[in-house]
Order: sequence, then C-alpha cells, then structure tokens
Amino acid sequence: MTNGRQQDRRYLWQGPGVAWLALLVLFAVSLGSAYLPLGTGNVAINLAIAAIMLAVLATFLMDLRNSVALVRIAAAAGLFWIVIMFALTFSDFLTRG
Amino acid sequence: MSDTAGALQHPWPDLRMQRAGVSLGMWMFLASEVLFFGGLLVSYAVYRSFNEEAFRIAGAHAQIVYGSINTVILLTSSFTMTVALRAATANVRRVTLIFLGITAALGVAFLVCKGLEYREDLKEHLFPSPQFPLSPPATAMFWGFYWIMTGIHAVHLTAGIAVVLVVWTLFKRRVIPVQGSTMEGAAIYWHFVDSVWIVLYPLLYLAGRS
Repeated sequence: MTNGRQQDRRYLWQGPGVAWLALLVLFAVSLGSAYLPLGTGNVAINLAIAAIMLAVLATFLMDLRNSVALVRIAAAAGLFWIVIMFALTFSDFLTRG
Repeated sequence: MSDTAGALQHPWPDLRMQRAGVSLGMWMFLASEVLFFGGLLVSYAVYRSFNEEAFRIAGAHAQIVYGSINTVILLTSSFTMTVALRAATANVRRVTLIFLGITAALGVAFLVCKGLEYREDLKEHLFPSPQFPLSPPATAMFWGFYWIMTGIHAVHLTAGIAVVLVVWTLFKRRVIPVQGSTMEGAAIYWHFVDSVWIVLYPLLYLAGRS
C-alpha cells in the first residue's frame, strides 16, 4: 500500500523532473555557446537549441505526447501560421532589388 | 473523500474528455497568441537581418546575468506547474496547493528580477531617446524591441500569476475541486509564457556575446 503510494508520488515529479533537467542543460549549452566566436553560427545554434527546448516543453511538460489528435492539430496550427508569416515576409524582403 | 462528482461539468461524459476540451480551447487561444508574438518576432528578424552589426553591439549591453537567472526561474516554474497539474489530476490536493504556490512565487521572483534589470537599463539610458548612448543609430531599434517584447511578456506573466493565485484560492476554499479541468487551462497558459521567454532569451540576451 505504502509502496504503491510512493510510486504514485514519484509519478508526480519524476517525468517532469527529467524534462526540467534537460531544459536546464540545453539552457547552459545555449549560454556557453554564445561566447564561442562562431560568427553567424552563434545565432543558428542558439535558435536551434531554443527550438529543441520548445519541443521538450511542449511534448513533456505541456503533455502534447498524451494529447488527443485534435489538440495536437490546434497546437500545430500556431506553428504552421508563424512559418507562413516568416516565409511570406522574407520572400519579400530578401528578394527586393 | 473524492470530489470527482463536483469536478465533472455538463455536457462532458467523463473528466478525461472535459480536460481535452479545455486543453483544445486553450491551445486555440494560444495559436492566436503565437501570431501576436509572431508579428514582433518577424519584425525583429527583418530589422536584425538588415542591421546585423548594430544588433550585435546593442545585444552585448543586455543584462545577461538577470536574463539567465530569469530563464532558470521560468524553466523551474514550468516544472512546478507540471507537478501541480499531475497532483490535481491525481486528486492530491495538498501537493497541488503547495506546487501552485511555488509556481506563483517563482513568477513573482521573475518580475522582481526583471524590475531590477529594468532599473539597470534605465540607469544606462538604454531606451530610445536623445540620451541613448550607443551607435550606430540602429542599436536603438534593438532596444525598442527589447522594451516592447519583455514588457508584453511581463504583462502575460502578470496575468498568469493572477490566474494561478485565483485558482489557488478557489482550490484552498474548496469552491472548485482540484481534480476538475481548471488546472489544465492554467498550466498550458503558464507553459506558453515560459515558451515565449525561451525564444526571447537568445534573441535579446545572447546576441553579440562572442
């Protein structure tokens, strides 16, 4: 009985705890890499790490991995439209003469 | 003992579906929020692509210690919020209240840290004005984005803290049961505020460090 309760309690923090540690490690890597002289590589690495952090947060802490398909589609809609926004905006600015 | 009956609302057949309904509604709201912040992010990207060096010079003046402390605070608050949500779903009332309280406290800690950071920025006149100390002129553009982006984020976080405190009070007074779907919406919103900061941190604090 007690053992079962302990397992229940562990469920409360164990999964989120691993995700939290992963986020802290990614944050440390992002901060450390910003001081390396990599030119435009710095911003690419920092944004790539931010994207991974967002994926970890959405998948494990916002629990999209256990969500129903409709919820996942709604979450993907925001991402889809921001990609459209960036693509259309930069297709204008980067192709001006 | 269990207050599941009070948690289930019409027309949902069970709590799992009710939570999915709240989750869907909150994600749809957040999709509109993504586009709201998206407008700012795409503007930042356009101006930075044309003023690369100015943004590097300006970014080097952002208070990286405060920014980094705040990142750790928000990441930790997302962890405590998830524990609170899981405890609420499992109907462990005491743990829900404790971790919701810690989450709100971390949110307040973020705002205090942000206030101290703003004080340092203002001392150095790092806002677009005739006394703005940096050059070339496009550096002021970076600081314009800094104030707008961090300011709007702080407004969102303040709203999140208010929501968490209201939910905490309602749980504490047993007005609503912890096992219902209220925590679902509050948690997803809180994580979204954290997500925005995860994007803002490299854009505003890591530019121009190397």
